[in-house]
Amino acid sequence: MELIKRYKALSAVLAALVIVGVACWIYQLMCGLTVTGMNNGTSWGLYITNFMFFVGLSAGGLIVASSASVFHIAKFKQVALPAIILSTVCICAAGMFVLIDLGGIQRVWRILTGPNPTSPLLWDVCVITCYLIINICYLVFMTKGNDRAVSITSRFALPCAILVHSVTAWIFGLEIAKEGWYSAILAPIFVASAMDSGLALLLLVLSALKKMRVFETSRDLMASLAGLLATCIAVDAFFIFCELLTMGYNGTHGGMLILTELTSGATAPFFWFEIIGGLVIPFCVLVFAKNREKTAVVNVACVLVVLGVFCKRIWLLFTSFITPNVMGAPGIISGSSTAIRETGTSSFAVLSSYAPTAFEVLIVVGVISLVALAFMVLAGTLIRPKKTAE
Amino acid sequence: MTRLAIAINLDRCVGCHTCTLACKMQNNVPEGLLWNRVLTENCDVVDGAEGVYPAVTRTYLPVACQHCQNAACQRVCPTGATYKDEKGRIEIDYQKCIGCRMCMGACPYNARVFNWEVPVRSTGANYGDARVPVREKGMVEKCTLCKERTDEGEEPMCVVCCPGRARIFGDLDDPESEISTLVRDNHAYQLLETMGTQPSVRYFE
Repeated sequence: MELIKRYKALSAVLAALVIVGVACWIYQLMCGLTVTGMNNGTSWGLYITNFMFFVGLSAGGLIVASSASVFHIAKFKQVALPAIILSTVCICAAGMFVLIDLGGIQRVWRILTGPNPTSPLLWDVCVITCYLIINICYLVFMTKGNDRAVSITSRFALPCAILVHSVTAWIFGLEIAKEGWYSAILAPIFVASAMDSGLALLLLVLSALKKMRVFETSRDLMASLAGLLATCIAVDAFFIFCELLTMGYNGTHGGMLILTELTSGATAPFFWFEIIGGLVIPFCVLVFAKNREKTAVVNVACVLVVLGVFCKRIWLLFTSFITPNVMGAPGIISGSSTAIRETGTSSFAVLSSYAPTAFEVLIVVGVISLVALAFMVLAGTLIRPKKTAE
Repeated sequence: MTRLAIAINLDRCVGCHTCTLACKMQNNVPEGLLWNRVLTENCDVVDGAEGVYPAVTRTYLPVACQHCQNAACQRVCPTGATYKDEKGRIEIDYQKCIGCRMCMGACPYNARVFNWEVPVRSTGANYGDARVPVREKGMVEKCTLCKERTDEGEEPMCVVCCPGRARIFGDLDDPESEISTLVRDNHAYQLLETMGTQPSVRYFE
């Protein structure tokens, strides 16, 4: 609780945001998902975007920590504890976003009593649960200083971390109905962008902890993590390029619809921010060893990477919802809170669109605040005795 | 085996939307949702035309659940709420639906609709066939091929009400049935055949 006591004002603001978020969520439970901007055309929105995003953010920590043991990279071991705490709270956030997105959460136990083994969503529930358990075991063993148990856990942790991103990708990548999702490279893309966004967040958290004088990370280690980040950005960019080339090369109708939407349509701002701000600029900055020594420069690059990956989740999810496969007027009956009161063809949409409502945003902010508070509590209690590590 | 299906003669469809309303009435479909829609194909206005004057065409395309034999929605449903029954129809066990909307993302035909809010009906009360189960907020719904009617040997309401007699209901697994003959003789096609979902609903001209 050290950190909460030290940063009373920040903690109070976060707690207030959590309360607002919970209140909005209760309101959503009462009224239904009509309080969101989602509709029959775009049936997933900001919650699922954040679910993908937080599953990804959770990766960096666990992968760095477990590769310390699996690949015997001794210097990564120093940051294992904050890395695992970060990974644990992020995966909890991802789980919360899925539950918040459910329309019938009171019937969620049906997953346990009648699971359908072919559903990627079921796989995801199983894998995320395993991942969370491994994270908690890791934390427990590490705080107890049981090195043997840590090294055994890490051997399970690394494949599980890869799997959790792949399965999340398969929720989308196996849907033949959506041109922009249906791709074998989606799982590798998810693993790569999980690595770069997760690593970037870890670097940001480490430098924040350093500033708060909670946890000291050597300049050298920060620089080498930044180097790893540059590699991950390059891999991510390569995978995205492969996907875009395959989509556009043959000039098929479906592929061109998606590409036009990405480069000059509704999702273009997110696409270009991701490509330029999230991949090109941070890579060009971090590729030079001299830049990796400067904390401020690395931090800016990390913020760009995290924002870029968030934009990528947005364009990936929404672009495929815009144009229905079977086109015609009046289109899809929208069913959203605004359209439901309209008459005639205004309650339909030929092309589907989506914008989050204030409720959705407040719920998302609430979840993120809760996660930040949880991190402060865990970091404050667990990291203390390890201060002498450096 | 039985494979209940509908064949639609697009030459006989006049775009009157009677099937849409017949379906809505029969199945107690709430405000803002529909199980069946009639699209003016490749147009952005209803009753619009395709092409450049004077070479213009207009095709109406009624779209509802295609009752796919290789159904994408059924495969992704985490709780098995969506299932294929013994008569080849894709049905939903509403009490098992957790509202994850995975099936809505998976359906290539946008045939599924979601109860975003507590269902509202302009009559202020439930209407239609009393045998049809009432859905709650947070449940996905779609065309059931009028399960309650077809179980009793009646035809789906959209077929009964179509003034152009454009819709033919029957069993595709019975080679002697009217629908099988029509599908054979007219080289009827399926929507988005290349997706491999094998719909039971057939279209011909």
